[in-house]
Amino acid sequence: MNIIQGKIVSVNVNGELSLVKLKAGEIKLTTIVIDTPQTSSYLRPNHSVKVIFKENEVIIANAINCSISLQNKFYGEIISIESDKLLSKLVIKTSVGNITSIITTNAVNQLDLQLGKMVTAMIKTNELMLSE
Amino acid sequence: MISVLLQKRLKSASGDMQLDVVFEIQKGQLVTLYGKSGAGKTTIFRILAGLLNPDQGKIIVNDIFWLDTEKKINVPPQKRKIGFVFQEYALFPNMTVLENLNFALGKNKDDGFVKELVEIVDLGDLQFRKPDTLSGGQKQRVALARALVQKPEILMLDEPLSALDFEIRNKLQQYILQVHREFNLTTILISHDISEIIKMSDYLIELDHGKIIKQGLPTKVLTHNKVSGKFQLHGEILAMVNQDFIFIITVLIGKEIIKVVADADESKKLNIGDKVIIASKAFNPIIYKID
Repeated sequence: MNIIQGKIVSVNVNGELSLVKLKAGEIKLTTIVIDTPQTSSYLRPNHSVKVIFKENEVIIANAINCSISLQNKFYGEIISIESDKLLSKLVIKTSVGNITSIITTNAVNQLDLQLGKMVTAMIKTNELMLSE
Repeated sequence: MISVLLQKRLKSASGDMQLDVVFEIQKGQLVTLYGKSGAGKTTIFRILAGLLNPDQGKIIVNDIFWLDTEKKINVPPQKRKIGFVFQEYALFPNMTVLENLNFALGKNKDDGFVKELVEIVDLGDLQFRKPDTLSGGQKQRVALARALVQKPEILMLDEPLSALDFEIRNKLQQYILQVHREFNLTTILISHDISEIIKMSDYLIELDHGKIIKQGLPTKVLTHNKVSGKFQLHGEILAMVNQDFIFIITVLIGKEIIKVVADADESKKLNIGDKVIIASKAFNPIIYKID
């Protein structure tokens, strides 16, 4: 699990769903949750929350400013790569802390990912979980 | 409403323990007491039933004092309107099902209610049989009906289903919920089974060393970190296999076995037999109708 600290900026409610905009350091994040400020009291602007996502949901791109629908992007340096037959584990040092990504070893080779390389780690909006 | 305030010094295998609890139960609620063995759950039951006296305490049931140590009020067990079901069925072996129920009813009382109970817990075909010809689940249905013949104000269930297998337990949970609602009972359950607790209880009280450490809605008490993921399951780890940088963890949930992938470093904190919560966002699972 990746866990980073964030602060809620806004909560946009429609029915049972809330689109939550957060800030982790200077990075803007967006998540969609099946909760509202009525069901979860922490869904309020300025509340600090933990943002949680799994390693295998972290997508890696070589590009720095890619135009892509993914809302959650972290720019950083690869500080560790471990590769096994099928899967590889990367640790990316970002401004909000280290983020771990598990992707296929094929992908690591195709993108020529190496220690020290700058990459963008991205997570889809519906993969971020929140916790108090 | 039931208000309970109890203090009692207890001697246990691991030394002395001070039971010190205060709680309230709303009429019509099903409340579960949960905690390790020796936490004081059964002692609370025995005190509520009047089988054990606390050092200090008050028990008020629907505005009537059953116990007030200061005012020396102590209603004897037979006058407290309580129905009990234990893990052991404690049925009279020489009496039929119906005789067991009528005996509990006492003399010269209306047996119409016994007939009603026999209907509700589906004992019609079994009523003339002796307990030793019945299965565990059937005996427990008789024990449940017997606990209700005196129309108790409180139904107390001390791990009544823990000796039964999953299917039968599931059925009996339904019977218990049915009588609980039908007779507007106030029910207190002792259980260790997380799925049973979540399925059955309105309110959960967690005890440790004679003290209440947590109480509230079962899902809130049992969920240790409030994660927003709506796909949450409680289970037990059966197996863990390390592969590349992940662990494939096999988890038993109810009677289903699922597999979850977790990061290897995180998995070091987990062991086979651990109770865990599996959380995912509700967006991820797909849903299939079974034909």
